[in-house]
Amino acid sequence: MERRTVISLIAIGAIAVTVLLAGCVEKKNTLNLGYQPSTHQLAAMVAAEKGWWEEDLAKFGIDEVELFLFPSGPPEMTAMLAGDLDVAYVGTAPPISALYEGLDAKIIAGVQTQGSAIVIRPELVEDYERDGVLSLKGKTIATYPPGSIQHTILSKWLSDNGIDPETDVDIKAMTPSDAASAIGAKSVDVVFVPSPHPAIIEDEGTGTIVKWSGEIWPNHACCCLVASGTLIREHPEIVTQIIQTHINATEYINEHPDEAAEIFAKWQGADASTIKHSMEITDAQWIHDPHLEVESSLGYAEVIYGINRERYEAKGIEPLREADIFDSSFYDELVG
Amino acid sequence: MRPPAAIREKVLWLAPLITAIVLWEFLAGYVVKNPALLPRFSEVVFSFYLLRKNIPSDILTSFLHFSIGLALAFSIALPLGIGMGWFRNVFKAVDPIIEILRPIPPLAWIPLAIVWFHLTHYAAGFIIFLGAFFPILIGSYTGFRDVPRVLVETGKVLGCIGDKKLIRYVALPYALPSVATGTRVGMGVGWMSLVAAEMFGVSKSGLGFRLFNEFYYWKQMDYVIAYMLILGLLALILDRLFRHFVEDKLFRWKKGIVK
Repeated sequence: MERRTVISLIAIGAIAVTVLLAGCVEKKNTLNLGYQPSTHQLAAMVAAEKGWWEEDLAKFGIDEVELFLFPSGPPEMTAMLAGDLDVAYVGTAPPISALYEGLDAKIIAGVQTQGSAIVIRPELVEDYERDGVLSLKGKTIATYPPGSIQHTILSKWLSDNGIDPETDVDIKAMTPSDAASAIGAKSVDVVFVPSPHPAIIEDEGTGTIVKWSGEIWPNHACCCLVASGTLIREHPEIVTQIIQTHINATEYINEHPDEAAEIFAKWQGADASTIKHSMEITDAQWIHDPHLEVESSLGYAEVIYGINRERYEAKGIEPLREADIFDSSFYDELVG
Repeated sequence: MRPPAAIREKVLWLAPLITAIVLWEFLAGYVVKNPALLPRFSEVVFSFYLLRKNIPSDILTSFLHFSIGLALAFSIALPLGIGMGWFRNVFKAVDPIIEILRPIPPLAWIPLAIVWFHLTHYAAGFIIFLGAFFPILIGSYTGFRDVPRVLVETGKVLGCIGDKKLIRYVALPYALPSVATGTRVGMGVGWMSLVAAEMFGVSKSGLGFRLFNEFYYWKQMDYVIAYMLILGLLALILDRLFRHFVEDKLFRWKKGIVK
């Protein structure tokens, strides 16, 4: 082999090794946090904007808290399964379905309850006011995929009112931003999405909010704070601090909703007045107590088991109980 | 006793395949040990059984989307390719637009697919069309552009006068192998766009829909891999059929030019 070839091969090898090592070294001393672009998960953004994550975690040797944005819960939980996230703000349903498939993580705090809305095309409002939920028969509805909180609540609401969610309506699985464009293009009649999207659709004039999820299932759990099993076992002191910072951020949101709305608008490039409007009209409650989310989360766990029964039974997977999903010990110790 | 050379050559593909499967089973079972990251091969085979009810309808829906996209791509790309390959001015006029649109990934068109075609099978077909169109177009116009001058002149001497006749009797037969290659590549890229085409809720079945909107959501990685294997196997079958009917039957005359 020519000398020059040998040298370039060695150089390429050296670069590859450096890149690989850099990837390994970089992980140390950083905490990876996942979240989604919803006002439900404002606490993550408020604490980051204020610099609280780094400030509070510095004493544990963490010098960087990196935030990763996900379009929805499923990819976020895939990242957690792969070991890329230490903590995640996420709806309670995606971690539950991932727990059934072997995710090593627990819900350590509550984040928020309620806060999704049924939005329908303006020309259908009259029918809805006359016939209520029955006017949705035969309509196309966009929401998150099966097993999500929104899909579960929607299916329950429809079947409670004698509408078969499988055959009487056409439910399309979409992310909230896709659903917003779909109702704008009139390809769907109804959307059921979390804040701030109902307000965004209303401000665009393509839909009208007719019902909040809290009216359908009072105080249902929505988002929660999940920590990886590794973090819980190896760094319990960090977990406790994360919950404390989360509590501080949540209280800050409840005391300064306008400022929180501005932080959201800045982070997600949204219009601040639309977000303020969304914060005023939403029925979402920003909370931190995990116990407030236990009951409905167990309800979701049951629904998810029902949907995948054939698979879970074939693989010998048992229905999840509270202790499989929640670890409230850190929160209880902190709050007393 | 060693098996005869002819048989050895026929089963040549078997050894690497078996090695890969054994390696996969071993890696998943003894090294990774987490079915959420890498399910074992045997688990994936078992999931074909668990999924037996869904597989046929998903394949049919996906074929519907694929046919819409491919038929559309072929019927637009071929005439345009003839125009671009035969008439210099058409090429000059259209080429910049084509080269701007060509590198845009089909995935980036999803928002427009939703607002233009709504949540119908045509929206999925449109995404596949975008994947298949450009390879077919390029295959067609290079075929027509590269017709040797001597063939054109000979055609004229033998009475082929006018573009219409020259295209029909000289250029088209010459360009067909190139069109076929373009179509084969286009079919491949179109098939690759299938998951993207079905991931935004155009239908309630389909290989891509099930993979992306159900299995992925539920973290059922054995199901995901099972459907990936179906996608791969169907593409292989499509390609073999195409080669059998088009390249081996239609282009029989070409055999012997190289080998």
